[in-house]
Amino acid sequence: MHTSFIELKGRERALALLDKNSFNELLGPFDRMESPHLAPQGIVPESDDGVVIARGTFSGTDAVVLSIEGAFQGGGIGEVCGTKLAASLEHILTDNKNGKKVIPIIIFDTGGVRLQEANYGLLLISEIQSAIVALRDYVPVIGLIPGNVGSFGGMSITAALCSNLIMTDVARFGLNGPEVIEQEAGIKEFNSRDRRLIWDTIGGTARYETGLVDQLVSDDISAFKNAVQFAIDSERPVPRTHQVEKYLSAVNQLDPNVKASREDIVRFMNNPSKEVPEIEDAKTPSRGRTWFAALTDSSASLSDFPGVLVADKEFNGQATRFIAVVPNAKNRYRRAVNGEVGLQEGWVLAKYIQQVIQEDANKEVKRNIVAVIDVPSQAYGYNEELMGIHYACAASADAYATARLRGHKVTGLIVGNAISGAFLAHGLQSSRLIALDDKDINVQAMSKQSAARITKRTIAELEEATKKVPAMAYDIHNYYSLGALDLLIKIGNADSPTVADVALVSKELAKAIKDGDFTLGQRLKTQPAITQGRVSSIKVRTKLAEQWH
Amino acid sequence: MESFSFIYPAGKEIKQRAHTGVVGSGDLEILLEPRTDNHAEFIVRTSSDGFKEIWKAVFERFISLNDISATFIINDFGATPGVVNLRLAQVLEIANQK
Repeated sequence: MHTSFIELKGRERALALLDKNSFNELLGPFDRMESPHLAPQGIVPESDDGVVIARGTFSGTDAVVLSIEGAFQGGGIGEVCGTKLAASLEHILTDNKNGKKVIPIIIFDTGGVRLQEANYGLLLISEIQSAIVALRDYVPVIGLIPGNVGSFGGMSITAALCSNLIMTDVARFGLNGPEVIEQEAGIKEFNSRDRRLIWDTIGGTARYETGLVDQLVSDDISAFKNAVQFAIDSERPVPRTHQVEKYLSAVNQLDPNVKASREDIVRFMNNPSKEVPEIEDAKTPSRGRTWFAALTDSSASLSDFPGVLVADKEFNGQATRFIAVVPNAKNRYRRAVNGEVGLQEGWVLAKYIQQVIQEDANKEVKRNIVAVIDVPSQAYGYNEELMGIHYACAASADAYATARLRGHKVTGLIVGNAISGAFLAHGLQSSRLIALDDKDINVQAMSKQSAARITKRTIAELEEATKKVPAMAYDIHNYYSLGALDLLIKIGNADSPTVADVALVSKELAKAIKDGDFTLGQRLKTQPAITQGRVSSIKVRTKLAEQWH
Repeated sequence: MESFSFIYPAGKEIKQRAHTGVVGSGDLEILLEPRTDNHAEFIVRTSSDGFKEIWKAVFERFISLNDISATFIINDFGATPGVVNLRLAQVLEIANQK
């Protein structure tokens, strides 16, 4: 008999996958771990915050289903539900490290960051990504995108990290939602009312044909179960996010001035080319460029792409690779001329981070990595979505996380904006984050205009909400109160720093690197985290740990 | 969002807790927890303001038919009275399952 999987709610989906009578929910509705950030904004919370963590067996193998409820707030990731996901994945990792094989199965039905808890969403998504990258060394991390909401935003970057992705033809899987692309880039770039266009670009069939998901299944419970079984049984392939050369070749072959087709993408993928197009370097000024030069004594970039600066330098007595994404008015991809993280930026970042990992693989002392962060957003565009910009962002996030796992200290220095998918790709995988104390710095998940449109509020209403919920705010001081930063550095002028400014920032950066570890755990240990910013995260983690053992 | 609660005397004890529904468009979730003090309490948070009297009528009818001593925690995202009735019947059925 044919039984729909899509029509099931999040909890029922977990029940349907796990063996009969094996379902055991952790932090279920009666634990009342709801979001404390919604009611102050006049939004009714849900008792499980929209994520079901179900432990059980799948065909006799220990498994945990992490199911996102798309019907609640579009499956958006906030502090509580994000912590449920991240902390569960970390427990699964520990179990596997201790020799107990447990398979994680994540059901993506999510718009990405829950805009009402914006900066929490980004933080938690980076923590989820970090856990997935670590887990992939032990077991396949299986992702399902059945459909209804589909998978978008930062959670698509997360899905892109899975070992095996299973999708239906009615689901959508992309970085930027059609409405947001239209809002940011105009209706000529993407008409959000053109449903045919949407499914031809980000629908399941398109994703399967262009090789961005592993299995395309019909909407049937047993089809999903067979696909999961296949994913468990099959040999784990090299993650797409590690196939930098192949994807970079496709990105280089694509003509950004023409709207590509699926067939084009397939052709690029099947015919790898070593040719790198000539890109003029306008050296467009930016904070990222200024600070990269200041910290590297104006070293020449060793990158072959002008939008990503890379330099190796002895910093505070240690070999250090500095990396920055910078604007280039002459960039090939027109949707990424302002320093956005686009297709090329994401894959090039991955290339130069993976390079450090490989070159230092057998060395006792690993190079430190410093991300100089000034990224206004990810790139919004049709070609970007078709080609899978979420994979480009994931490749970079994966590389930073892998670097940490292989013993590199990764530190982020926020000198300018740190927005959304771009921040996930470049910065949020740092074990230490420090920032300039500057009023022009924005840290957020989406521009105010888009956030207002998507949450159906006016900009005035949105600004009102930011007063009640610090995670909604855009300024660096509110961000500091979440606990993610180790330090705010007060200097004279962030745009044109003096010698003394650079000396001060260098000193603090050296200290941050020295204290760095190889996890993202520090964010839960800072004073602002403990007293205010991550109180709910810590509560969820404590309670989950009790129930896990 | 509006929050309110109603409490009524109620006789029958119920053995186990139960949960149903989601806080999705036109739907609601209900958490039923047994209580031993012979009262039925409905604690409501709803996204649709101004329908308190309708909720009251729904609860009074429900409790006159099902004399259950329990706390009902309700998180509502714009469910119609018909859907509310259905979910109340469902949560009761789950609570009565062996």
